[in-house]
Amino acid sequence: MILAASRVPIVEVTTFGLAKGAVYALLALGLVLIYRTTGVTNFAHWGIGLMGVVFYFLLTSKAGVATPLAAGLAVVTCGFVGALCYRFVFRYVKRTNQLVLILIALGVAQLFTALSAMGFGFASTTILDPWLPISTVSVGSASLRSTQLIAIGAAIGIAMLFLPWFRYSRTGRALRAVAQNREAASLAGIDEHRYSTVAWAIGAALAGLALLLILPHASGERGGVITTADITPFGIYLIPAFGAALVGGLVNLPLAVVGGFVFGIAENALILAPEPWSSLRSTIAAILIVVLLLLHTERFFVARAEQEALET
Amino acid sequence: MTTTHPETIARDPHAAGAALSIEGVTVRFGGITALDGVTMQIQPGEIVGLLGPNGAGKTTLFNAVSGFIKPDAGTVRLDGAEIQSMFPYERVTAGLGRTFQHVKLFRGLTVYENLLAAQHRHLSASPFAAMLRLPSWRRDEDEARELVERMLDTVNLRPWSQRYPWELSYGTLRFLELASVLSLRPSVLLLDEPATGIQQKEVEQLGPMLRRIRDDTGCAIFLIEHDMGLLMGTSERIYALDFGRVIAEGSPKEVSADPQVLESYLGRTRRAEAAGA
Amino acid sequence: MRSTITAEEAIAEAEAPPAARRLSVRFPSLTRGRVITGGVLLGLGLIPVGVDAARNTTFWEYIGAYIAVWAMLELSVVVVTGYGGLISLMPFSFVGIGCFATGLAVSVWGWPFWLAVPFAALATVPISVAVGAASVRLKGLYLAIATLTFASALGETLFKWEAFTGGQAGHTIDRPKLGPVDFSGGFAFYALTMAVALVLVWMVHGLKSSRAGRAMLAVRDNEREAQALGINSTKTKLTALVIGGALAGVGGAFYLALLGSPAPAGFQSPYVDVSSVLLVVWAVIGGIEAASGAFLGAFALIVQQQVFQGAEKLFVFIGVYAALVLVVFLIFRPGGFVQVVKIQSERIRVNPARGIPETAGLVLFNVIVIWLIIHFGTVATKT
Repeated sequence: MILAASRVPIVEVTTFGLAKGAVYALLALGLVLIYRTTGVTNFAHWGIGLMGVVFYFLLTSKAGVATPLAAGLAVVTCGFVGALCYRFVFRYVKRTNQLVLILIALGVAQLFTALSAMGFGFASTTILDPWLPISTVSVGSASLRSTQLIAIGAAIGIAMLFLPWFRYSRTGRALRAVAQNREAASLAGIDEHRYSTVAWAIGAALAGLALLLILPHASGERGGVITTADITPFGIYLIPAFGAALVGGLVNLPLAVVGGFVFGIAENALILAPEPWSSLRSTIAAILIVVLLLLHTERFFVARAEQEALET
Repeated sequence: MTTTHPETIARDPHAAGAALSIEGVTVRFGGITALDGVTMQIQPGEIVGLLGPNGAGKTTLFNAVSGFIKPDAGTVRLDGAEIQSMFPYERVTAGLGRTFQHVKLFRGLTVYENLLAAQHRHLSASPFAAMLRLPSWRRDEDEARELVERMLDTVNLRPWSQRYPWELSYGTLRFLELASVLSLRPSVLLLDEPATGIQQKEVEQLGPMLRRIRDDTGCAIFLIEHDMGLLMGTSERIYALDFGRVIAEGSPKEVSADPQVLESYLGRTRRAEAAGA
Repeated sequence: MRSTITAEEAIAEAEAPPAARRLSVRFPSLTRGRVITGGVLLGLGLIPVGVDAARNTTFWEYIGAYIAVWAMLELSVVVVTGYGGLISLMPFSFVGIGCFATGLAVSVWGWPFWLAVPFAALATVPISVAVGAASVRLKGLYLAIATLTFASALGETLFKWEAFTGGQAGHTIDRPKLGPVDFSGGFAFYALTMAVALVLVWMVHGLKSSRAGRAMLAVRDNEREAQALGINSTKTKLTALVIGGALAGVGGAFYLALLGSPAPAGFQSPYVDVSSVLLVVWAVIGGIEAASGAFLGAFALIVQQQVFQGAEKLFVFIGVYAALVLVVFLIFRPGGFVQVVKIQSERIRVNPARGIPETAGLVLFNVIVIWLIIHFGTVATKT
């Protein structure tokens, strides 16, 4: 970001923050969906999203598929990968075993990181072709990037479609039933494994979309670059995405979306601050996350005590 | 309130001699009052029963006494000393022991190791002494093992000593829990439904076993139990609880005939029937 | 062992679910065969030297030292997560603290290395205490997320503080000396680190059969019950964190000595996560609940790196193979290599006719898989 000496680019920075927030929001949406339905804290979420980007890269650079189509196929493949994750791995682990669940998720994260490195041809940097239309949009005196605006629009649009669907559609209600109480749901004739797979597929697809909205467009017309910093278990996006999910206590979907934008703005507002504050973005996110964790733990304990009182 | 039992009248509720004194304990969660000004006394070496339908607040009372819930009001005294602001582990040092409704114990440890862990109170070696295998650690370990060996024979757990908790029957698991809590040498023992989930044959052994424990160690026992045979047969005195309040107190015969007690059990059933359950 | 079985035991035996199929975590404790274990670890530790001797090279000494240092790092995961049950995703951050504290002491303040090592251990204490404070209120998963954020925050603050890290290149130190003995030679340094690693393994193993160690295991398994038995769970968790942090600090000191000058960038987000995840994953594969598991995990990781050297793009194959191994282990053998060894040796003892072929088959299967990966890895990179 080049700060013009004469004008502070508030609108540009805000838009940039919202665009980042859009990515966090989509990732958080997937995290909450997966956690609610199957009880898994998906530390492998970034890795799964990377698989979508790998597929996109292979389609565009090796198979010569047109980029928007490639993006679409990549998102679908990502969903498929998520479904496989559940089917072959997470389905077999008991929900209550936090340590094992986290360790397995880490293992899967490791697996996808390694596969991604392989998929990107072991290069230290990989160029991605953009698939969104790239142009500059003028709003007042600010010039904004179309890709950022599209990302923001996409996140909001998906949230506005997804949330009501989750609440009112038959599949959505089935998913909520499984999330609430697996035994009761299966007694009511709902196939918990089928719907868990659906939740994972949707969550994974959202992750793939989130990554595809941002990674291929970081450098404007030249596309985007995947560096070694991205081919890591959590990337630099997953931790704030967890923060966003925590705004809703890992279970509330609309709050996760809101949280995503909040984290995006909070992190990037610091760009406008003078040094050394402007490089403390991770620390701000960390503080926010710890506060959220403490807030939710408080409620968790009170709820438990109430429940025990009722069971005496 | 049934207070015609002569010993109940003669006893001063605030006598320093009470092993466990619960005074006006109140616990509220949001809109629910789980315990409302509960007052009870347990004398040293007594076996007292706690009776009440589901939701009456019995386990909540145990949680408040043992420190897992903070009461909104009231005092809890153990051998005269106030303990209501102590952490649960501190109350153990003061002489309180408790069991839980659902037995879980330590699943990564064998029965032997579970009992070793229960000797925590009696041991003192620091982690550094352990890591450097200093003589103080060796002495500690020898003492721990000796204590456990004795306990294994007392509670007849020796055949299971190398097993893990999930390999044991629920009844044996309960005995392990009992052995663990007895290792603490408590002066007051809170038992939360010790007979739940175990076979009738073992339930019948439980009563005499509890009396033997009391006779051998002199500890007072406060017992929550739904199995009326065990409760009435073992308790010397019973408190009845409903909706967080003490509704009756006296000998087993008196309390089982108390109309309010009967109403609290039957009334629940009648209301449930009326609701079309 | 036992020569007769009572009726009760026989019934329990029949009713108990097969150990291998339990999906919930069962961590066996390694209390028998301490001498054998020590011998095995020593033997494994001597392999690199043996290879060097056989091939007349000096390369494998370095690998041996690498294994030893990594074993020290794994021990901290064993104490914090294996014994203490606390899910910390920031072990490598503690390594960094030890590493740069040592660098500061030796290259800036001029301390001898031997004084810097305990200093490195002490330097980790403030952060261990901070994590301990968090662990009082945050359980399990929430603590895991908190440690992730701590790691990235540390990466942005402490590991960017030039006075501490010695700039972008980090501090540079020479290999240590002790009186007349100079450990800068390959073999000498290998012997030093291997000796230290084995001593630390011995110490961490001793911790397990102690009041403090059992308290950690108890709090890990059932915090409420532990408290009901008089264990101060907060103090116990703090003890696990401080000891684990100190082990990582000591390991960090030797890490610096091993690599000469590790860059601070490796301890910043997101790279610190790569190493922390690697540490946790390989501790599980080795056997997270056993001190010897730390050594086995480190050994397996480093040897794999070298075995796959021929596949050139080693990072990838370690990741893929490791992840698959981890997932399989977690589902079938959550106790890692240590549990596999225990189960297989039990099977051989009980029924050698079946046990030996079964074990041989397992070993053979893994050898074949590794060979295939090397073969196709090499082939793939040649195209």
